[in-house]
Amino acid sequence: MPVIKFKFNKYKLLELFAPVAGFIASIIVLLIIVIAVGESPGKSLVAIYKFSLSSSAKVATILSMSIPLFFAGIAVAFAFQSGVFNIGVEGQYYFGGLVGAMAGIYLHLPAFIHIPVVVLFSMLGGALWALIPAILKVTKNVHEVITTIMFNSIALAFVNYLVNGPLSGLGKGKSLEPQTAKIQSTALFGKLNGAFRFLGWNVPDYVYLDYSLIVAIIIGFLVWFVLFRMRYGFEIRAVGTSLDVSKYAGIKVKRVQLAAFILSGALGGLIGLQEIFAIRGYYTYSIASGLGFDGIAIALIGKNSPLGVVFAAVLFAFLKQAGYGLQFYTAVPNSVIYVITGLMILFIVVINEVVAAYIRALRKKEAV
Amino acid sequence: MNFGLILFFLVKGLEISAPIAFAALGAVFSERSGVVNIALEGIMIVTSFTIVWASLALNSIWMGLFFAVIAGMLIALIHAVVSVTFKVDQIVSGVAINILAFGLARFLSQKVFGQETQTPTNPHLFPQLLGINSMAFVLIPIAIIAWFVLYRTVFGLRLRTVGENPEAGDTLGLNVLGLRYAGVIISGAMCGFSAATLFPSQWISGMTAGRGYIALAAMIFGRWDPIGAILASLLFGYADTFRIMFETKIPIPSQFVQMFPYILAVVVLAGMVGKARAPAADGKPYEKGED
Repeated sequence: MPVIKFKFNKYKLLELFAPVAGFIASIIVLLIIVIAVGESPGKSLVAIYKFSLSSSAKVATILSMSIPLFFAGIAVAFAFQSGVFNIGVEGQYYFGGLVGAMAGIYLHLPAFIHIPVVVLFSMLGGALWALIPAILKVTKNVHEVITTIMFNSIALAFVNYLVNGPLSGLGKGKSLEPQTAKIQSTALFGKLNGAFRFLGWNVPDYVYLDYSLIVAIIIGFLVWFVLFRMRYGFEIRAVGTSLDVSKYAGIKVKRVQLAAFILSGALGGLIGLQEIFAIRGYYTYSIASGLGFDGIAIALIGKNSPLGVVFAAVLFAFLKQAGYGLQFYTAVPNSVIYVITGLMILFIVVINEVVAAYIRALRKKEAV
Repeated sequence: MNFGLILFFLVKGLEISAPIAFAALGAVFSERSGVVNIALEGIMIVTSFTIVWASLALNSIWMGLFFAVIAGMLIALIHAVVSVTFKVDQIVSGVAINILAFGLARFLSQKVFGQETQTPTNPHLFPQLLGINSMAFVLIPIAIIAWFVLYRTVFGLRLRTVGENPEAGDTLGLNVLGLRYAGVIISGAMCGFSAATLFPSQWISGMTAGRGYIALAAMIFGRWDPIGAILASLLFGYADTFRIMFETKIPIPSQFVQMFPYILAVVVLAGMVGKARAPAADGKPYEKGED
């Protein structure tokens, strides 16, 4: 039935329109802001280019930055697929990172086991932190948006306490930043830079393209497989599309959402891998914050699909670098990037709705 | 017992509760009209910047309040346009606005004051009453007005109708979208009052510290009712006041004391199963039937 196939593609193409148009619209707004601030748009674009794509080192930096962003995005997206709004990824990676770091500090294992173990413990920690909001959602119908936000604040205070108190790795009288003991060398993530250089991509030593990139690729593939090739993934997507229809179809909606929520937390636990195991080699509560919220934006822009999240994470890393470029070379502050990000999401979702209405109208016409 | 201390605790608690209570009160109007407003946090960030900015620029805290209310309404308007007119998921819209607002306040602070994370201090303040910001007492008349408007006026009845059953409202000739705009914009305006009671002396990035979300929790715990929302806000506010005043005297680590209001919020929400019901059409965009 080639005709139906053709129609299907036309709609697919229309659906791609929103992210592209939203991106372009927000870049136009950025340029308007640049002009309003009294900077030249040309100079600003050059500044963005210099900080993002001007050399292989800059491109590698963007790839490196997109690794934690990818985990953040895929964590939020996975929950989203089942209709769960997990705003608690922030707290989940604070706690997940700590649990992973504990496994890296206190377990004694050979490297080829130790590294997978710290990855699994990070996931376990993230899952644990999602557990209570998940249970409250399915058993008591407490909205996860509120509970997960509360759990973010609780996580921050809790890891702050642990790192300052029982898990502190600092000797007495040292005036360093509070942190845990050092992670054992067997659990540290090595870099892949050498391998990339061997393949002809000149990645300098200061850029972190570490084992977390491999974890990201494996996770991305697994999530895709679960969502689109497994019965459970089908159930997740059915529940996310329509709760009522899923119930009628006999899907155990609550169980599906509970599992998706907890797995989302497990994915969120991976966000800290790069910073804790590759960059720092210890855990501190001041690991990069706000990534959980970036994850929401990334999931929305990537339309909750694993591949979409990959693109959105790279786009986000690019935007962050663009912000630094603007800050460095022009009078436009870095914070403009948050404004642009917020606007981009709004543009994309609004255009999405308009396109969806248009598609509905088209389908109706065809049905007549 | 030290009565001076108790009196101070009571009054100080009102001051600390007020920003949450104003926002929660606003949230009641938004949600009763059928729109979940998680953008409260972002709106509060912008209003708390605007009040300092306008006060410094116009040498008057009252002008500051005026513009903070206007700014709150404008940001809320974005939420209304996106989620009411374009029917985008209300939580998605709110999250996007929170990201935008976070950047906007920092951007403006950098451009206006040359510092990204804080403004200079604002010498123009509201008069003090019983040792606290007198604006906190304004909560009481506003709460009464809010209750009256919601339950004793035609506008309030219509607002509640479109939140419960927009189809019926539409059939009766009510302007569903217009009423929802009103609900959302009222919540934005109330965030202007939140800013007036939060810390009008200075804007510091991050100073709202999740109060917008706490306000939302308070509104739910208060069962979508103005008085309930305020009582719930007072619960959070006094819990926080207790922490601030006695943190150093309590023999448990301060981080656990800091967690207390958040744990309280979770426990409180978990404990109210079946007792509360959101407006029936809360969170659902209204689609006019086409056929």
